Amino acid sequence: MSNISNREDITLLLIEDDDVDAMTVKRSFLKQRIANPIVRAYDGVEALEMLRNQTVSRPLIILLDLQMPRMGGIEFLTTLRADDDLKDIVVFVLTTSKSEEDLVKSYRQQIAGYFIKGEVGESFLDVVNVLDNYWKVVQLPK
Amino acid sequence: MDKILKIEEQRKKLVYAGKMGFVHWLVVIFSVVLTLAAWQYSKQQLEQKLDAKFDRNAQQVVRLVKERMQLYENVLWGAVAYIDVAGSDINYSQWLTYSNSLNIDLTYPGINGIGVIYNIKEAELANYLKQQQALRPNYSIHPDHAENDYWPITYIEPAKTNLQAVGLDMTFEKNRHSSIKKARDSGKSQLTGPITLVQDDMKTPGFLFYAPFYKNGRKPNDIAQRRDAIVGVTYAPFIMKKLMLGTLARENRNVSIQIKDGEQLLFDDDDMNMNIQLDDNPLYSKEISIDMYGRIWTFYIQSDMSFREEASSNQSLFIIVGGLTIDFLLLCVFMFLSKANRKALRYADQMTIVLEEQKANLQRSNQDLEQFSYIASHDLKSPLSAIKQLVSWIEEDCQQVLPDESKKHLQLLTQRSDRMMRLLDDLLAYSRVNRSVFEMEPVNLALLCKDALELSGVADQFRLEVEDVVINIQRTPLDIVLRNLVSNVTKHHHKKTGIITVAYQQNRHSHIISVADDGPGIPEAFHEKALEMFQTLQPRDKVEGSGMGLSMIKRIVEHHHGSVKIESDGINGTKVIIYWLKEQ
Repeated sequence: MSNISNREDITLLLIEDDDVDAMTVKRSFLKQRIANPIVRAYDGVEALEMLRNQTVSRPLIILLDLQMPRMGGIEFLTTLRADDDLKDIVVFVLTTSKSEEDLVKSYRQQIAGYFIKGEVGESFLDVVNVLDNYWKVVQLPK
Repeated sequence: MDKILKIEEQRKKLVYAGKMGFVHWLVVIFSVVLTLAAWQYSKQQLEQKLDAKFDRNAQQVVRLVKERMQLYENVLWGAVAYIDVAGSDINYSQWLTYSNSLNIDLTYPGINGIGVIYNIKEAELANYLKQQQALRPNYSIHPDHAENDYWPITYIEPAKTNLQAVGLDMTFEKNRHSSIKKARDSGKSQLTGPITLVQDDMKTPGFLFYAPFYKNGRKPNDIAQRRDAIVGVTYAPFIMKKLMLGTLARENRNVSIQIKDGEQLLFDDDDMNMNIQLDDNPLYSKEISIDMYGRIWTFYIQSDMSFREEASSNQSLFIIVGGLTIDFLLLCVFMFLSKANRKALRYADQMTIVLEEQKANLQRSNQDLEQFSYIASHDLKSPLSAIKQLVSWIEEDCQQVLPDESKKHLQLLTQRSDRMMRLLDDLLAYSRVNRSVFEMEPVNLALLCKDALELSGVADQFRLEVEDVVINIQRTPLDIVLRNLVSNVTKHHHKKTGIITVAYQQNRHSHIISVADDGPGIPEAFHEKALEMFQTLQPRDKVEGSGMGLSMIKRIVEHHHGSVKIESDGINGTKVIIYWLKEQ
């Protein structure tokens, strides 16, 4: 097996506590006819568990919310980057927070992009399109 | 910052004023020194005054005694002149007439009598006695002595008080004898040394005063001639006490005196037993020696109690006590003042603490409020987003099955959700608007206004008239204010098109920016209300608005220590005037 992933193999790990937000993501993927598997974790703690138990398979991209119970996005990122097995995972942040502080803190943890959840409608489709195009062209480690 | 520095400075001054400073002590010390100097000076003045007075009084006493003695001398020389004229051998009745006419008792107080002493040689003695006994059978010379020279008192008037003296021979006693010989030899009046007069029962000191007369009224030039021509002397006995009583008026003297002839005491105030307040430890004393008709009299003069009373005069005491009292009061005033200052300072400090606490409380509650509105609007937004999301899915998914009525309801649901979203956004903006600190920078007002109009989305329908000025101001908050003002105009205008006029003025303290429109205006009754939060003057279904615009403007402007004023008659447009403080 080569170390190079195919687009279809890439799993999206969605870390999001809000059901409607999770549904929005799933719906948008469906609408754009993106068939990649979406695995959802409800917060940072659960996501870390899944990653360490390898219940979610690589290659994967993480779409991360910041405001979550138990373990928020920033804390999750910090833990992830400190873990030798997990530090190479590509993470996008998708959040309602417009706070400059959150943005800076997130990029410090080598995220690939910071999206602000827009209001309902077309703007979210843009985010999905970016992700779709991204993993069409990018090569990820397995 | 300047204000705080100024207050700090004032506080330092108050702290300084709260202490007894160098200057205070200097004033107190200076005034104490001044008091002591005044006290010393007044004491010195008094001493000088007393010194002069004592000197004057002492000289006066001596002068009075001298003058009196001169007077007595004159009496003696008068008697000599009388004898010279009447012939040497005057008889008793002649002398009696003479002395009576003198009226000694009244004219010459202090004198004990006036008499004549003849010098009798051994050979003439029998003849002399015979002659005297012719008129006065009892006359005799006494006491006996071994000399062959006789100086018997022949006449003495008034006789009554001088009986013992009649016939007394001066030769019997050395003092009397030597003095009379001295008078004879010198031709001048002469005093004896202190003696006790035979006629003085009290045996107090006295003396005799002689004036010599010679044969045929001659005044011989040398001793030999005088001895040859001597006839006798006129004389006056004195009891010192009586003399002094007649001479010195006690009340005016203020000094006590002692008079000595050599070592022998002639007179002492102490013996007078009068109302004299002798001073045991006199302040002043003086010794004056004068030549008194062949004797040296020494006056020992002392200040008496009246001097001491005057010396301890209250004047200087008043000065020192009064002065020190004033100094003490001065010190009290200073201490009182500094205490008052300390009190004021303490009060101010307490007030500051209270105010600081209040300020901290206020800041905390302000922060709490901001935090609250930020979190509330933020947390309210996510479920609202979800609702909107879900509504859009229902619309999407059930396009075919929903009745028209329900579609309309879903539309209204979306519209109301949008309104709530806007309200929350504005609330969020409102709560965050003064969180950041902005620096002043040059801002082009015209450009800022144009941008604001562009953002409103109806730039082509409104004409903007704006002064092209560059002002030094905080860009971002001003931007928010202008955007809100412009959007208010476009949103609330009653016509499709309109004119927005932005004018700029300034005074010493403030930028004055006014934004005027030709819209429907705001009736005066609603000017206040328009500035309050969540207040709209039109129904929200007619004009979409959160009612936050003007209150946001007010909040920003007031944060920059300015004020907002609405000018409108409710018919011909609205003018909003912003006063924005230049220095902050």
